[in-house]
Amino acid sequence: SIQAGHERGGEESGAARGRRGYNAAADIRVLCLKNDTIFKQAFSLLRFRTSGENPVYSAGGILLTTSRHYRSKPTHGIGRYKHLVKPEEPKKKKGKVEIRAINVGTDYEYGTLNIHLIAYDMALTESYAQYVHNLCNHLSIKVEESYAMPTKTMEVLQLQDQGNKMLLDSVLTTHERVVQISGLNATFAEIFLEIIQSNLPEGVKLSVREHTEEDFKGRFKARPELEELLAKLN
Amino acid sequence: MAAPTRRTVLGLARCWRRFESPWSLGSRSLTLAAAPSNSASPWRLLGALCLQRPPLVSKQLTPMQEEMAALLQQMEIERSLYSDHELRALDEAEQLEKKKSDLYEEKDEKNILLVQDLEDMWEQKFLQFKPGARITDADVKNDRSSLHRKLDRNLILLVKDKLGDQDVWMLPQAEWQPGETLRQTAERTLATLSENNLEAKFLGNAPCGHYKFKFPQAVRAEGSLGAKIFFFKALLLTGDFSPAVEKGRHVWASKEELGDYLKPKYLAQVRRFLLDL
Repeated sequence: SIQAGHERGGEESGAARGRRGYNAAADIRVLCLKNDTIFKQAFSLLRFRTSGENPVYSAGGILLTTSRHYRSKPTHGIGRYKHLVKPEEPKKKKGKVEIRAINVGTDYEYGTLNIHLIAYDMALTESYAQYVHNLCNHLSIKVEESYAMPTKTMEVLQLQDQGNKMLLDSVLTTHERVVQISGLNATFAEIFLEIIQSNLPEGVKLSVREHTEEDFKGRFKARPELEELLAKLN
Repeated sequence: MAAPTRRTVLGLARCWRRFESPWSLGSRSLTLAAAPSNSASPWRLLGALCLQRPPLVSKQLTPMQEEMAALLQQMEIERSLYSDHELRALDEAEQLEKKKSDLYEEKDEKNILLVQDLEDMWEQKFLQFKPGARITDADVKNDRSSLHRKLDRNLILLVKDKLGDQDVWMLPQAEWQPGETLRQTAERTLATLSENNLEAKFLGNAPCGHYKFKFPQAVRAEGSLGAKIFFFKALLLTGDFSPAVEKGRHVWASKEELGDYLKPKYLAQVRRFLLDL
């Protein structure tokens, strides 16, 4: 009822002040949270009420409870946010791998480069690949991808001392990690390559090549049925 | 805001256009000396070669690093699971115990070779292996012109050349001839140095450093005020000076030893692009 009292006071003062709109002595209006238009509408209704009933809070006052942010008012478009959110890319279906155009690069910048790190020790390769990735991040070189190639297993057979049989000596697994970068400056490439080379741990081989279609296709598994069908077609 | 950015873009475009003419030959190299007003410039241009022999052996660990490595190794062993070999060893130990206790029934021996025998064989092989020496003869004798010294550091080639009437130690250099890029000048230096014994890999087309100096008044001619030297880095792959070359004219120096040979200002500029880890 205190609020109702304040409201009536505000409405009547608003009516008394005429069409001046909001001004500094607006704490009553702040409590009300109403527009001038509503005052104008409610004004005529209130004139006919003498009891303490406030039509705004009575049941059925739907038209009067809405606060419209009209086009000419400063609050127009107040709730808009879709224009700020980036549009979502269409969701790729599972299994479809996009073949992006391979960036060949200009005369002053390299395109997509692959840094291959090959070693027999998996923990060492992974830790060095991590180091290279962090180094690129720190030097603001864009890292497109960082992936692993499948492990190659090699069985080392040694000739037995007595007899002709080959004896299994050891099993060696070769691990390969690839860090794919793009946008390397020609002037900076020299320094970067030297840093990577001088920091190589023992046992890790380094190979820096440009990314090609074969490199991309080499990551996929061989599909014998598809190859058979293609051979039959040709 | 738009006007200054437009002006800078135009300025950039003008610079690019000026640099474009020498590159119309189709070469993919960056030449810093391609200014069209070259004929009037009083500076002589030289391309120098910083030939580095990369380290062959990794550096020795500091005491703290060694302790840490030992600790991590111990932790790893304590946390790890048994490998195939170790499981076999445990099985065979059990079988031996059973045999001793006389409750054992004779089973066919699957493996003639026991784990213990394998381990003995490996131990023998390990004792026979001798790793190479870290400190070579050349280190002991401090023979600086040998390539086989300081295996864990970068070594740079320095030569003694006549500059004016003095013998000065410097990085090998050659005068730039019009029509070639500065990197080709550096490659020419490499070829003339050793008569094609040294093979090096250039990592990029851009120079890694420069040094500018003015000639003393006596030597100054009308055309030449001084010289600008551009350094190019290359990594030595194979090859060395043949022993026929006279001693005392070249030296393979590491970063600290450079100070013994080079002049201070030259040294300061050279130090800036040397990466020594």
